[in-house]
Amino acid sequence: MERVPIADEKIDLLPERAMWWERRSTLLLADPHLGKTAAFRALGIPAPEATTARDLDRLSDLIDRHTARRIVVLGDMLHAAAGRSSEVIDMFTAWRASFATVDILLVRGNHDDRAGDPPPEWRVDCVNGPHADGPFIYQHEPGESARGHVLCGHIHPAVRLFGRGESTMRAPCFWVGERCTVLPAFGSFTGAKVIRPREGDRVFAVGEGAVVEVPSPLPKARRAVSP
Amino acid sequence: MKQVTKAPIRTRRITPATAPAPPPLARIVNWFASRGWKPFDFQLETWRAYQAGSSGLVHAPTGMGKSLAVWLGPVMEYLSEERPEATLACTRGSSEPLRVLWITPMRALATDTVRSLAAPIADLGLNWSIEKRTGDTSASIKLRQRDRLPSALITTPESLSLLLSYPNAREAFATLRCIVVDEWHELLSTKRGTQTELCLARLRHWTPHVRTWGLSATLGNLDEALNVLVGDSLPQRHRDTEQCDGIVRPLTSITSSTNDPPPATPIPSLCPCASVVFRCLIRGDEPKRIDVRTILPESIERFPWAGHLGLRLLDKVLDEINTARTSLLFTNTRSQAELWFRAIIEAKPDWMGRIAIHHGSLDRDVRAEVEELLRKGELLCVVCTSSLDLGVDFSPVEQVIQVGSPKGVARLLQRAGRSGHQPGAVSAVVCVPTNALELVEFAAARDAMTTLSIEPRAPLDKPLDVLVQHLVTAALGGGFEAEAMYDEVRSAWAYRHLSREEWGWCMDFVTRGGPSLGAYPRFARVIRTPTNPRAVSEPPPPLPAGEVRACPPWRESSRAEGASAAARFNHNDARDLNGIRITPDGSRMIGASSIVERTHRLNIGTISSDTSIRVKYVGGATIGTIEESFIARLSPGDRFVLGGKPLELVRVREMTAQVKRAKSLRGAVPRWEGGRSPLSTQLAHAVRAKLTEYSSQSTALPFPKPGGLKGSSRGWSESSSGTPGKLPQSLLHPEGVLVSNNNHSPEMRAIAPLLDLQSHWSRLPGADELLIESLESRDGFHVFIYPFEGRLVHEGLGALAAHRLTRQKPRSITVSGNDYGIELLSAEPLPIDEASWRRVLSPDDLLEDLLACLNSTELPRRQFRDIARVAGLIVPGFPGAGKSTRQVQASSELFFDVFTEFDPGNRLLEQARREVLQQQLEIGRTRDSLDRLSKQRVVMVTLDQLSPLSFPLWAEGLRTQHVTSESWTDRVRKMAVALESKAGLNTEENRGKQRKRETDVNDAV
Repeated sequence: MERVPIADEKIDLLPERAMWWERRSTLLLADPHLGKTAAFRALGIPAPEATTARDLDRLSDLIDRHTARRIVVLGDMLHAAAGRSSEVIDMFTAWRASFATVDILLVRGNHDDRAGDPPPEWRVDCVNGPHADGPFIYQHEPGESARGHVLCGHIHPAVRLFGRGESTMRAPCFWVGERCTVLPAFGSFTGAKVIRPREGDRVFAVGEGAVVEVPSPLPKARRAVSP
Repeated sequence: MKQVTKAPIRTRRITPATAPAPPPLARIVNWFASRGWKPFDFQLETWRAYQAGSSGLVHAPTGMGKSLAVWLGPVMEYLSEERPEATLACTRGSSEPLRVLWITPMRALATDTVRSLAAPIADLGLNWSIEKRTGDTSASIKLRQRDRLPSALITTPESLSLLLSYPNAREAFATLRCIVVDEWHELLSTKRGTQTELCLARLRHWTPHVRTWGLSATLGNLDEALNVLVGDSLPQRHRDTEQCDGIVRPLTSITSSTNDPPPATPIPSLCPCASVVFRCLIRGDEPKRIDVRTILPESIERFPWAGHLGLRLLDKVLDEINTARTSLLFTNTRSQAELWFRAIIEAKPDWMGRIAIHHGSLDRDVRAEVEELLRKGELLCVVCTSSLDLGVDFSPVEQVIQVGSPKGVARLLQRAGRSGHQPGAVSAVVCVPTNALELVEFAAARDAMTTLSIEPRAPLDKPLDVLVQHLVTAALGGGFEAEAMYDEVRSAWAYRHLSREEWGWCMDFVTRGGPSLGAYPRFARVIRTPTNPRAVSEPPPPLPAGEVRACPPWRESSRAEGASAAARFNHNDARDLNGIRITPDGSRMIGASSIVERTHRLNIGTISSDTSIRVKYVGGATIGTIEESFIARLSPGDRFVLGGKPLELVRVREMTAQVKRAKSLRGAVPRWEGGRSPLSTQLAHAVRAKLTEYSSQSTALPFPKPGGLKGSSRGWSESSSGTPGKLPQSLLHPEGVLVSNNNHSPEMRAIAPLLDLQSHWSRLPGADELLIESLESRDGFHVFIYPFEGRLVHEGLGALAAHRLTRQKPRSITVSGNDYGIELLSAEPLPIDEASWRRVLSPDDLLEDLLACLNSTELPRRQFRDIARVAGLIVPGFPGAGKSTRQVQASSELFFDVFTEFDPGNRLLEQARREVLQQQLEIGRTRDSLDRLSKQRVVMVTLDQLSPLSFPLWAEGLRTQHVTSESWTDRVRKMAVALESKAGLNTEENRGKQRKRETDVNDAV
């Protein structure tokens, strides 16, 4: 866990790929992409269902540990219409029943537009971004706002870490800029995109159970490539 | 098809053509004669064997008419059939139905194949249509072909597989007589080959009497290649029980029988042992003369490092290009090709327009244009990569220039064969070393060519990803009955040992994702139709949506409760699908839904390629493709070179890099991956033999006095040659001392200074010796081991040695390797006694230890990339694929991770590990090499400074330690200079200090 100031608020970056805003007892996360594996299976691609259960377990742990009262999902809650399988719907409905008192706010993302809003029994408040909340502006895609610091997701940011030799490894990351912060994708079965941070940005890689700040901007790979 | 100068032809018994119906063979021989040719023996043999019902493999040098050998068999069969005169009418719509399927590995070859096959058909006036079908064929032609196939179809394994995925496939291939697989050696050891095997098994299952003929270049395992091609469906060869080499010999009695109507049953007695031949190997016997010579550098770098030399020999290469009408200049990598192309153009601007570049990253149209110019003889030189290894004969090519070691004997032979197509012409190869040690490899390759020790290509052993793909293809293509399919699949050579468990897993994978219940709800690619088996030739009945569609297109299931009755039906049904793999209840396995059908067809094929993105001018023509990883490192404004053109990156949009022409040529040459092939077993063996021969024949001589080595080597700066007349007469050491026996090849004499320094500072290992050098430097403790087995094996051995050493005692060891040896580097002292190294390099527990190493590496995860694609886990993204496929993009790494966690029994994971062991680490070779090493005497040498053999290893190791390329080059160059001066100046003193440890060499760097 790493506590960083964002827009003068104390925000904890959690290795579970979520943010904890203690003052408002709010968990922030982006891109859970529920039902993604189901959408794959509908197309004849075997992707195991168990990832959804694992993501929900992770969320349960976070709520319990922090006694969160509110969850803000920064878009892409459901992956696709084809992913709305009865397994996924039932699983989340059951999960919701065990956290009945928690408020959930969804700021719709591009996937939600096509997948549709969560079913009513999930009791999720859905809004379109940008949505202001204190010093923050919630929206799905990165951008800047005159009204506050943008918290968003969408791009599934990752950094490339260099190991020994020529081996490299990608790790999801929090990308904290001056006016905009991008959260890593919460869902387990999601890809990631390597970002190119600007000067002054802070980048926090998420590893196994740890959040580590990596130097930013990263030294750019040498351009001239010797044959 | 060449003018025959020596092959005796048995034409005595062929009676002159009589007016009404000349015998087929006579018509063919007449056709040959009309072109001024006579059939070669091997062609006659092939025709006879075909007529007798046999399948087989024809092996003959390029340009001898292999294609006609296999093509005219079915043509003669047709000629000998009786048919009403009317069918000879040449109307397009009524051309002969499909008879010959011609599979070629390269779609670029298809056009030329159509051209060359059509010539005799036109001359003989047959009503045959000959068409190709590849990825490039237009949609309208494809549609027409789906309706009715031409008399002869030329296609690729991928397109064939695609054809088999249409419901009317069985009907479409019903009249097939003969399958020809061109360039079979290219497919043999690849997943494309395995895919071809499965397709052939399917066709043979439908048409049991179909004959299969392959064409192959030189291979070390032709017998095996034949077996893989023909499959396990035919009765076991009689050769196993009787003394017979299986080679069909000409039998004159058959020649005379061509007059007769075709026999109802295959003619027995084609073999000397007088039993039925089911498969035969036919060799065209005329050995092609190949002249291999090497351009020798003026002076030898005694401290060679990869990629450094090469262009230094440019002037001599230009001279060579000038001597021939057309030259092909082969490089081993695309980046090298770009470099050489640029260098030649800069040196000879007036050659502009007569020099071209050809490699796999260039746009297809550009390549086609180059090929056309090459064919017309309008080019002086084409700089190319393996992209021109295969393919049609470019007869104007007189000379082949090979830059860098070919790393394999077969590759050099293949490339040599690209030149000298005129009858009686000599194939000429000029070798250009890119570092001094490659001189040994060229000399060794020539030896190996003489003794015909040529690499085999090992066929793959039951890759399950290919099988999974094929099962879906077959399910879509009319469906299959599980039990019969199991037998059919096992008739393909690769799967002849497929166990029932493996089969069951594959069926589970395509029907419900995996064997564990509940892991993959609502998944199906293949479902069981509850109806009775229906004739496959019937058009498939429309599948009522309420009954058998497992997966309604997802637009239909927009709600959770939208899980329709159909899906539920099949979901429940899927539970007892477990039973279908054993119970032959007659139900057919078919494709699950139209959406599965569409995505599967997009995904057919096993060609692996790195993600490449298209390079286009802004709003203009496509130049080619380039690895995404290379583009990712560039920013707009950066320059690079592709196809010899200086380009400036403007922007990257989706899968396209938009560029504009840059003014200057300065810029990075893209470095494509996978360019470095390892030394083959055969060539490695020849290299060892060469070094042993050198060390045993060279006389131990006093080392030269300082200052004599460079520049004084004028006497042998001429290019060497196989012909004695060109040989330098006196190969004298600069000091006037004869260094080596005159029997040595020019290459070995040229590299003598390096080898002599090696034996002086360290040792040149003999036949039964394993050299291990150790050195302490400011970097730490180095150990250099020289098994001479090629880079892949060395990487495996290095990982193994490091694993075993760290198990003995925890420490950090850096491993690197090249084709000659391994370097281990540690901050702590490494063992220097023989017994320790014997333990570290012991063949015992090899598999166990290698698997333990693997688990700590990324290799299986990376290997999984191709497997995931072939098995249909990755849906190909392409322009216009639509949102539906974009929503199901996930990386193979993601699949690897979730399978490892949630479905560890997934056999594709196991396959990834197996492929790494077999293909990347070459466990078979590793085991052989450890066995060999365990019998050798270990010679430990403590070095005072890097030896000529250890220097390139040290440089390689430095590269892997993530030093930026610039400082790497600098550091290596400085080190080479320091060592060179030491070798030249301080030799006598050095000897005195031999055992004294020094570290100042590294301080000089």
